[in-house]
Amino acid sequence: MIRFEGISKTFRGRDGAAVEALRDIALEVKEGEFVAIVGASGCGKSTLLRLAAGLVPPTGGATLIDGARVTTPRAETAMVFQAATLLPWADVLRNVTFPLRLMGRTAPDTEDRARALLATAGLTGFESKLPRELSGGMQQRVAICRALLQEPRLLLMDEPFGALDALTREEMSIELLRLWAARRMAVLFVTHSIPEAVLLADRVVVMSPRPGRIVDVVQVDLPRPRSFDQEGTAEFQRCARRIRDHIFGERAARAA
Amino acid sequence: MARFKAGLPAWIAVIGLFIAWEAGVRFFGIREFILPTPSAIWTATIAVWPMVLDHTMSTLMTVLLGFAASVLVSLPLAMLIASSRAISAAIYPLLVVTQSIPKVALAPILIVALGANELPRVIVTFLVAFFPLVVASVAGLMATPPELIELGRACRAGRIQELLRIRLPFAVPFVFGGLKVAAALSVVGAVVAEFVGADAGLGYLIQTSMAFFRTPLAFSAVVILAIMGIVLFQAVSIAERILFPWSSGAETSAPPAA
Repeated sequence: MIRFEGISKTFRGRDGAAVEALRDIALEVKEGEFVAIVGASGCGKSTLLRLAAGLVPPTGGATLIDGARVTTPRAETAMVFQAATLLPWADVLRNVTFPLRLMGRTAPDTEDRARALLATAGLTGFESKLPRELSGGMQQRVAICRALLQEPRLLLMDEPFGALDALTREEMSIELLRLWAARRMAVLFVTHSIPEAVLLADRVVVMSPRPGRIVDVVQVDLPRPRSFDQEGTAEFQRCARRIRDHIFGERAARAA
Repeated sequence: MARFKAGLPAWIAVIGLFIAWEAGVRFFGIREFILPTPSAIWTATIAVWPMVLDHTMSTLMTVLLGFAASVLVSLPLAMLIASSRAISAAIYPLLVVTQSIPKVALAPILIVALGANELPRVIVTFLVAFFPLVVASVAGLMATPPELIELGRACRAGRIQELLRIRLPFAVPFVFGGLKVAAALSVVGAVVAEFVGADAGLGYLIQTSMAFFRTPLAFSAVVILAIMGIVLFQAVSIAERILFPWSSGAETSAPPAA
């Protein structure tokens, strides 16, 4: 579905100094696969997503979707940000349909599909509310519905639950899995949370900072549908420990 | 009812001020041409009410035309400034220059150049009022969260679409902040223009009244100007509440329990 080939990305900082955000990234995400990316702050996780979205160009290497080079945002991808980034002036329904309206891709059934989608996200009755009338978790649900309505084949999520409280976060993770299972699109999910990554993903990509590199890819062999009950299983623990060792082991090594 | 209650302290303060004024002037025996009592101002106004009304209408016309002109010029100008760094760098210094010139100094020049009619007065009003509106609108257009811009770009929105469908709506609360300031300043601008060259208007009324030491009538014009400013300000606020209910904080309903 999407392949990163020898990606490197260097930003020029405000002071003119070059900052190497990514180095030699090679990764492939298959059709319908759920891949999580974890790593400390500044490891270039978000940059990688923006490359996939076609929002920034790579300095070296190429991002390929179905073999075609990504140079601008494409219809196959949709993005969910850490903040819900809803339009404060539009109600929930118009927020969800906004991308399609912006792209001129509305169909006669767009609104009905939006309502159905909101219903599956537990937002029935909130269609005509303004974003500020919703809680943080509900706002993020609207943002996810907005992305799903575009029927992306690749969903890019940049710490989508990062701004939510721990309880809402767990609830949303399970809900996301439910929505994903019904659609089976590929997901690239950036997070800070190791348990979240293991719970959600088929594979977890571990990145290290400065410059951002992939240090390991952990295959999670837990049966689906997943639930938090699996947190006690040996496989869950094995994956979590391996990821943790990479992230903290590296820090410990650097401190020594 | 809740609104009336919220406004109550303001009314008490205003009424109290007038009572203190009336009592103070009477108690100290201040002569009328120095500081008239509110009741004397009222009497003087009622005595020549049709004439005062004519002057009020004349000023109101200048104020509204000047205000309209500043809206019509400021919004496109703000969009232009916000759309490009180069344009912003070119235009902003010029704008600041127009703000540094005292409008009182400019008014006689404009009147000589354009004739003693409505036009130079409207231009002076516009010059006084438009700057804060431009600054506020530009600030609003630039304040759009980068993630919202990114969302637009991810949906392949062009620059025009981004401006019209994301930046502009986002700027609405800022624009209204600027409109409120511009509404109040329009009144100031109109009076400045009338001081320099007019044969009607409240500014003209103040000048001619003071020439004959008819201080109560001058005060009457000042009070009417103040009311005009307040009414315009409120009109903008009400327009905001009706047209863009999401913009003003007035209509916040409690968020549901998550």
